[in-house]
Amino acid sequence: MKKSLLETILDPHQLSVRFQPIFRIADGENQIHSVEALIRGPRGTHFESAEVLFDYVRRKREERAVDHSCLAAICAEAVHLPSDLRINVNVHAATLGQSSGFVESFRRRVKKHSLSLDRFTVEIVEHAPTCDIPELSHTIAGLRSAGVRIALDDVGLGHSNYRMMLDCHPEYFKLDAYFVRGLRDDHKRRAVVESVVTFGRALRSSVVAEGAESMEDIAILADMGVEFVQCNVLCAAVTVEELLTTGSVRHASPLFISSREMEKGAAGNVAMLRTGEDPPPFSPNACRWDVRSRMH
Amino acid sequence: MKDRILIVDDDDQLVNAYRDYLSGLGYPVDCTGEIEEAQTLLSHFDYSVVITDLRLSRLNFGGLDLVKFIHEASLPTRVVVLTAYGWPELKAEATNQGVDAFLRKPMRLSDLAKAVDMLSGGNA
Repeated sequence: MKKSLLETILDPHQLSVRFQPIFRIADGENQIHSVEALIRGPRGTHFESAEVLFDYVRRKREERAVDHSCLAAICAEAVHLPSDLRINVNVHAATLGQSSGFVESFRRRVKKHSLSLDRFTVEIVEHAPTCDIPELSHTIAGLRSAGVRIALDDVGLGHSNYRMMLDCHPEYFKLDAYFVRGLRDDHKRRAVVESVVTFGRALRSSVVAEGAESMEDIAILADMGVEFVQCNVLCAAVTVEELLTTGSVRHASPLFISSREMEKGAAGNVAMLRTGEDPPPFSPNACRWDVRSRMH
Repeated sequence: MKDRILIVDDDDQLVNAYRDYLSGLGYPVDCTGEIEEAQTLLSHFDYSVVITDLRLSRLNFGGLDLVKFIHEASLPTRVVVLTAYGWPELKAEATNQGVDAFLRKPMRLSDLAKAVDMLSGGNA
C-alpha cells in the first residue's frame, strides 16, 4: 500500500538538511558563529519546500512527531560539521510545551551521533497561543541545564510577542526578515529593530537579524547594535558538502564584497569586514569565514 | 499547457484512473487522498479545478469541507464533487455550497473530462 505523505515525512531518510551560516557582525569579529539547520521535504515533491512542508504538518497537528524526525535527519548530517561549530535547530513551541520527555529524547538523539548537547541552540518556532507555557518553561529549563541555548524565532510576527520574550528569556531574538528588508529606506522598520535591540540589551539577549538584502543593510544593522545576521547576501542555505568546500562560503562571504559595494555601505562596523580591494586568494589561515579553518 | 488539476480521493485505483486519463488529455495533475494535504496544496499552488470525492477518509462529507475551505480562502478554483450517492438533497446542498459540478459514481471518464474542460476553459 502506498505510504501517506505523513508516513513519508516521518522517515528521516526522506528529509534533507541544509545549513545556513549565522555571522557575527559586532565588534569586527567577522566569523561564522553558528549554522541553522533547515529541513527540506521529500525530493521532487511539492513538499520539498519547507514552507509547504510545515504548513501541511501544522494542519495535521503532527508537529511533535515531525520535529523528532527532523532532529534525527539533522543529527545524522551534523556529524560531518566541524566539532566546534554551533548548530541551531527549529522546534515547535507545541513540541516543547506538550512533551515533558523532549529533553531526554533530544539528549539520546544527540548522544547516538556522538554530538555534544552544548553545541545546540533550539529555535522556538510557531508559538501557538494554546501552547502550555509552564510546560514550555519547564522544558526550556531542562534544555538550559543540559547546555542548550534558546532562540526565539520570528520575533515581531504572530505569537512571538513580548510575553514569549519574557517567559522564554532566550539567549537570541531572531528578528524576522519582514522588519529587516529595505531597512535603509524605511525609518519605521529601523524603529522596530532599535526597539528589539534595546529590549534584547535589557534582557541580555542577542539579536540575530534575518533576511538582510544588501551590505548596506548589514552595515546599518551593525551600527544599530545587532550582533548577528543570517541572510543570503552572505551565504544561502547549503548542503553540508557545499558548506565544507570553500566554494559557497567563499563566494558569499564579505571577503568577496567589491570595494564599490563597501563604499556604498554605511561606515561602521561592517567596514571592518573589508580585507582588500579585490577578492584575495583563499587562505584557510587568514580566512576566518571559512568553515574548513574551524575543523579540527 | 492546460490548467493544473487537483484530484482528492482516497481510493488509489480511482485516483490512478482519473490521473492517467486527464494527464493523457494534457492536464498537469496532482493527487492526494487526504483533506489536509489538499488544503496545503491549494494554499501554495494554483489549481484551476479540484475533483474531490464527497466522502474522504474519516470525514463523511470531507469533500464539502474542502469546498468550504476554497470559498473561505477566496480561491478561484472550480470544484467537481464525485459521489456514489445520488440523493437530490445532497446535490442541492453541494450546489448551495458552491460546487460547480456534481457527478455520480461510477461515471464515464469522458464525462469527467467534459466537466473539467468546461470549468477550466480547457486551457491555460
